[in-house]
Amino acid sequence: MSSAQLLRSEAVYYVDLAVTGITFGCMYAMMAVGLALVYGLLRILHIAHAAVFALGAYVTVLVANATGSVALGFVAAILVTPLFGMTIYRLLYEPLLKYRPDVPMIASVGLLVLMQDAFRIGFGEQGVTFHRDVYDLMTVDLLGVTVNAVQIAIVIAAAVIFLGLHLFTTRTRIGVAWRATVSRPKIAASFGVDPIQVRYLNFALGSALAAIAGGLVALLNNLVDPSIGYVVSYKALAIIVLGGLGSVRGTLIASLVLGLVEAYGTIFIGQWLDRDAIAFLALIALLMVRPQGFTGVRTA
Amino acid sequence: MLHRKWKTSTRPMNLLMGVAAVALSLAMAQPARAEIKIGFQAPLTGFAATDGKSAEIAAEMAIENINNAGGVIGEKLRLIAYDDQAKSDQAIFTANKLIGEDGVKLVVNGSYSASGRAAAPIFQNAGVTTIVAYGVHPDITLAGDHIFRLVHLGPPQGRATALFVAKDLKLKNVSTITMDNDYGQATMDGFLEASPKYGIKVINKYSYSLKDRQFGSIVASVKRDNPDGIYATGYFFTAGPLVAQLRAAGIKAPIIGSQAFDSQKFIEIAGPAAEGTYIVDSLDRDRNDAALQKFFAEFTKRAGYPPESVASVVYSAVKLMADGIKRAGSADPTKVKDALAETKNFPMLEGTLIGFNSLHEIIMPISVNVIEDGKFKFFAKLGDLDAFAPPEK
Repeated sequence: MSSAQLLRSEAVYYVDLAVTGITFGCMYAMMAVGLALVYGLLRILHIAHAAVFALGAYVTVLVANATGSVALGFVAAILVTPLFGMTIYRLLYEPLLKYRPDVPMIASVGLLVLMQDAFRIGFGEQGVTFHRDVYDLMTVDLLGVTVNAVQIAIVIAAAVIFLGLHLFTTRTRIGVAWRATVSRPKIAASFGVDPIQVRYLNFALGSALAAIAGGLVALLNNLVDPSIGYVVSYKALAIIVLGGLGSVRGTLIASLVLGLVEAYGTIFIGQWLDRDAIAFLALIALLMVRPQGFTGVRTA
Repeated sequence: MLHRKWKTSTRPMNLLMGVAAVALSLAMAQPARAEIKIGFQAPLTGFAATDGKSAEIAAEMAIENINNAGGVIGEKLRLIAYDDQAKSDQAIFTANKLIGEDGVKLVVNGSYSASGRAAAPIFQNAGVTTIVAYGVHPDITLAGDHIFRLVHLGPPQGRATALFVAKDLKLKNVSTITMDNDYGQATMDGFLEASPKYGIKVINKYSYSLKDRQFGSIVASVKRDNPDGIYATGYFFTAGPLVAQLRAAGIKAPIIGSQAFDSQKFIEIAGPAAEGTYIVDSLDRDRNDAALQKFFAEFTKRAGYPPESVASVVYSAVKLMADGIKRAGSADPTKVKDALAETKNFPMLEGTLIGFNSLHEIIMPISVNVIEDGKFKFFAKLGDLDAFAPPEK
């Protein structure tokens, strides 16, 4: 191999790793933003968000298998999970809001465990896979380089979603009202914003994001089993802490940082530590340096 | 949930048998024509439940077949099954329960490595003769002379893989991907230890956690390594996504997988990407053997899916236990242990078991399968027993 070729293959390699890291980061972001929003608004650690993610993955696969269309699977997931998210708020959190914040959190853990077992009983321990060959969808050639199409789809989906979210919260009346309620609920209410509707909006949007992430992870793994939400759930919790609890921008930054640390860390110390261990070492180190998180705003 | 149904329905019978046993011993009559209890544990729930279920169905099938043929030494066998959840603490609990509550003296263990390793010393200390069906951690048989193992342990499987990669596939430069648990590491250790002997160069070593399903960084790195072959240890639920992601990135090098790739679900998850994957120490399903074909048909009918390595080896384990009891002429665990140690050329579903070594590890050739048209196809038989001889102590 000539030195120019070698250089090119090295460059491709680090780009590959960056794409991988950004893919991880985008997945975490789509998952963690919902958590950050709920925390910002209600001061609840919404652990059951992992069950929403899993539900999104299951609905995507099951509807895709029933209709033969992966796109319809995603549409169904985006329609079903917001209803589920809003139901969680209405039936689980709202009645418990008058208690200390750890009470709804424990209820949330309970719901996650319940949902995991429900998936197990309903769809089996082995998990479900797409019937059609998703593998055909997975590979594309880009300028002579073969890349995993699902990874690219995850990055594009996240970019479109967060851009849309940004426009929504800055350019629309509902979006502005929402942001106002998250940062100053009492003042927003005095301007006539209904805080309860904002809460529903919050759960609906956060759940839809988690569902898209769940569906994409289902495609990437071609396997949805009852434990699918488990790893992302505890990582997303760590991410919102690192992002500066309740901050959406901080959460996005923290997600990408963690994704990249995992992608590159696996290569440099992957022989001794696996990806999850690397992620948590990095989180501990970062929180020691910046206990208030990336955004630097103490929200508590 | 067969085992649960069983528990409730036979409780009155237990009581009756207890009364009968007391009465008979008081009368100093002949030994009671009771049943011989075979304890059994496997991960029936939790992440390993797929294998646990297969194991349980296979064990029940073997017991029924033996009983339908008249039982052993004039007595029927009865399976007492518990769920170890693939967790060490649970395995210790169920092992103690089998011994203390159920009074079991003979056990067929369908556990994963870690839980099997935790339970083995408990069975050994209670003098319970145990056949471990497929747990591959070296420490399992080190627990003592009452423990037998029916599967090649991790390091010999890895050494056999090195032999296969070098001699049969003639590959030189290999990247390795290790699953971070007892089984994945032990098997990889054997491969890494033997590979220099066969001139295999390991370009890079990677590892991943059991919970991981996204292998982006490893895939990118393997792509840069540009190896002649890739050796990976894993279970079907990690192997499926791993193989699919390697292939999706355009990596064409042959993939050699460890024994636990051997699952229909692996092919289902990886789809066309599974084609051409070699699985070392995998059940040879093409063998022209009446017992094997009958087992296949019967298991598929019961379970709704074809049997895998785990199912067949558990079936063989129960059959071997029955054979041991027969040769011992008694269900006394020490006598059965001595009979098992003397096993010679026992016909297992996997082929002929030549015998056990001093540590009660199997001496037996290893089969390699390749995935072709979405099916397991026999590819090679590794007969160089010295190359993957189990440790003696």
